[in-house]
Amino acid sequence: MSNYIPTIGIEIHVELKTNTKIFSDSINGYGMGANTLVNEIDLGYPGTLPLINKEVINIAIKACKVLNCKIRKEMHFDRKNYFYPDNPKNYQITQARTPIGYDGYVQINVDGVDKKIEIEEMHIEEDTCKSAHRKNVTLLDFNRAGVPLIEIVTKPCISSAKEAMLYIEKLKETLLYADISDCKMEEGSLRCDCNVSLRKNKEDKLGVKVEVKNIGSISNVGLSIEKEIARQSILYDKGEIFKEQTRRFDSTINDTVLMRIKETGNDYRYFPEPDIPYIHLTDQMINDALKNIPILPDERRKIYQKKNMSNINIEKIIANRSLSDYLNDMLDTDIDFQVASNLLLGDISSYLNKNNKNIFETKLTKEKFIDLVSKTKSRILTSKNIKDILNSVLESDNSIDEIISSNNISNITDDNELKDIISKVLVENENSVNDYINGHDRAFKYLMGQVMKMSKGKADPLIASNLLKEFLIKK
Amino acid sequence: MSRYLDKSIIEINKMLKEKVIKPIDLVEEAFARIEENENLNAFITLNKEEAIETAKKLENLEVDNILFGIPIAIKDNILTKDLRTTCASHMLDNFIPIYDATVISKLKEKHMIIVGKTNMDEFAMGSTSKTSYFGAPHNPWNYNKISGGSSGGSAVCVSSRITPFALGSDTGGSIRQPASYCGVVGMKPTYGRVSRYGLVAFASSLDQIGPLTRNVYENAVLLNAIVGMDNNDLTSANKKEEDFTRKIGEDISGMKIAIPNYFMSDIVSDEIREKIRSIIDILKQSGCTVDYIDIKYLENAVLLYQIIAMGEASSNLARYDGIRYGHSKENPKDIDELYYGSREEGFGDEVKRRIMVGSYILSGDNAKIYYDKAMSIRSDIRTSFLEAFKKYDLIIGPTTTTTAYGLDVEDPNPLKSFMDDVLVIPVNMAGLPGLNIPIGFSKDNLPIGMHIIGNDFDEATIYKLASYIEKKLNLDLTPKGCDKSV
Repeated sequence: MSNYIPTIGIEIHVELKTNTKIFSDSINGYGMGANTLVNEIDLGYPGTLPLINKEVINIAIKACKVLNCKIRKEMHFDRKNYFYPDNPKNYQITQARTPIGYDGYVQINVDGVDKKIEIEEMHIEEDTCKSAHRKNVTLLDFNRAGVPLIEIVTKPCISSAKEAMLYIEKLKETLLYADISDCKMEEGSLRCDCNVSLRKNKEDKLGVKVEVKNIGSISNVGLSIEKEIARQSILYDKGEIFKEQTRRFDSTINDTVLMRIKETGNDYRYFPEPDIPYIHLTDQMINDALKNIPILPDERRKIYQKKNMSNINIEKIIANRSLSDYLNDMLDTDIDFQVASNLLLGDISSYLNKNNKNIFETKLTKEKFIDLVSKTKSRILTSKNIKDILNSVLESDNSIDEIISSNNISNITDDNELKDIISKVLVENENSVNDYINGHDRAFKYLMGQVMKMSKGKADPLIASNLLKEFLIKK
Repeated sequence: MSRYLDKSIIEINKMLKEKVIKPIDLVEEAFARIEENENLNAFITLNKEEAIETAKKLENLEVDNILFGIPIAIKDNILTKDLRTTCASHMLDNFIPIYDATVISKLKEKHMIIVGKTNMDEFAMGSTSKTSYFGAPHNPWNYNKISGGSSGGSAVCVSSRITPFALGSDTGGSIRQPASYCGVVGMKPTYGRVSRYGLVAFASSLDQIGPLTRNVYENAVLLNAIVGMDNNDLTSANKKEEDFTRKIGEDISGMKIAIPNYFMSDIVSDEIREKIRSIIDILKQSGCTVDYIDIKYLENAVLLYQIIAMGEASSNLARYDGIRYGHSKENPKDIDELYYGSREEGFGDEVKRRIMVGSYILSGDNAKIYYDKAMSIRSDIRTSFLEAFKKYDLIIGPTTTTTAYGLDVEDPNPLKSFMDDVLVIPVNMAGLPGLNIPIGFSKDNLPIGMHIIGNDFDEATIYKLASYIEKKLNLDLTPKGCDKSV
């Protein structure tokens, strides 16, 4: 372990889920042909002026709310001036002086202890275009130029890779649930830069800051912070002096590599954007923007806990937004949420994944689901039955009862009937019974199979297996 | 050659309506006049084929408004779709816009006919039009004098009677000052009155497009056509539609007029001050009150302008990098060489000088020390103007400190050329409307102009006074050598 105390700050860029770009009415889309979603504004043509997409302001207000930020009602945009081929105007319109949000936090739970990761500020800005380097040339795709972003900057208050990862997971989950961004790190709609520095004692001033850019996944965030801590520790141990620098995470070698040394502070020549008037957010605008924020994950956790869902199921359901939304439709019913979540996370999820569908795209109406859950709970339907009828349940308009009858499902749940079957099986399979008595557990499975076979699959497996155990113990 | 274009716009309109003439006659005449005045170097690009084609198409349409079929010249920093727009710079000398500026769309809706793009200072940076990559235009009143700038070509075009109308742009006097030197009427409207969409930005918080015309009435008519809130320009103002000619001809008695002492101080030549005093006499005789007043910070306006305009310009001109459009250095070895090379070769000295100063002004802490401070004093200037407008209807003064000077005058101090605009710049700082009206001639027969400044969005009152003075003076404003009768 390192002898140094790490201090970590994280900057996250999130692309907002809007229909159009922030300063033009071009479509905000991903995965389209290069340079098909562009107009003269996105290209920074002479004479063009920025428009302002109100949707962006509304979503940013929402983001402030869900990240517990204060909202700045008087704000403006600024120009950040720097030359780079991916920057069409050679200035980026951003908010340097009056970020829309400030003093927020995201609450995480580290090994059972709650911690607030403080957010310094959150501002709105435009994305740059995408460059692709091919041999000697650089190709530019302006589809991304002008896509709205919010940048969320934490205070240097994160003290481990684990905290960093938990913070990003929590942030991502929150933004996703609030419909702010689709947060796909692999598509670049959530991008993360980490600042890592080390110091010997808590009283010392912060050490030399190293920024790690372009980290493509949450696990790589953890990895790059760990690697940085290790790398910097060795340098400090050796007494080596190093300069403030920017590195990137190289996933092919799982380590950070130097991009550039920061010689002097960057001079971005910020000044207020004269093409966009100052914006005054009224209470009305803020209230309107905050209408219809979906229930956020932590709130859902509380609800599910009250409904006695297991923690494992809760986390799995929350990890799947549409299942959680589907389940939330059932909050006014008295179904068993543990059974319901088992169904959703089990066979239904497999079906959805296999068919690349969303639960709302199936024929599983609320009524049908309620029926399915209660029949599962009351063991009218066994897990095997469910596997058998699932396609019909999800694909046909028929009710559960209709499906049950058309599939001739009638389970043997009657103890006496089952006992008869079990007795016959035990008589016919004496060898296996002996094997079981001699400690071969596998024999039990075989015997259960025989019970199912003799019942033509109609035996309720749970009841049958309990009865079989009872019989065998008596032997 | 017929001389229809010497007639008033009302007469021309009547002849078009009565089918005595067709738009093509006007277009052909305009191009004949362009040829006749080629030595004035008023144009950078002509739009002859397209103009003739448009004129022919108009023959089938009803003459539905007073600007129908009238030729107009456009300053070459206003984007015209498919028609080269250079900003008088090597950087854009092959630039063909893919869209029309909002004002151009409006003119096209009125079926005006664009004959060409007028000469100017490179990227509108200058007060002489001498920084043009295409050479300076000449003053129609004296070939060896400057036309003024930066809208020099537009002022020359109207002054020499090539077209009755031209559009210019005014960031720090660039419409009013050349209008004064060339003896035409030029209006810089209130900031936000006219959409800037498609105007190549020089200093975004100051730039404004406006009309240059032969007389006051026609100026108001052209302004009527180009104003209006534009969804493509967030700084354009949402104002009720109004007719800017509506106060023309009204009695001016009882009007309260102020003249700032600074505008009549010894920075202005005696001859011009004398002429202004004679106008003051006329106004008093006509029942106006004229008071000398003080307006704070006027003497600082040029300095503030330099800071704000150059700061903004350094950012606005960053987009010319040789990548997407404009001049591009051949075979650069890397991205830096592409940047440096394209900008080194593409921009002229004055533009480079202003970009450098502007970059310095915004650099590090300077942004706060200079730019923020300048913006704050700028709002004080506006406040002191608005204070004066609580008591007065209009503020007047000379437009320029001298008449047009020699084209060969080379001042080694680049800052000095800003002093050509010392009287007009405060109006851009305050965002107010201002107009140049010719009021006479100097001993050496060069036009002298008066500057009329109005309250926010009160262009109509400016036109009221200007038209009164125009009528009272009844000057012959056609330069000698251009007056060839029908």
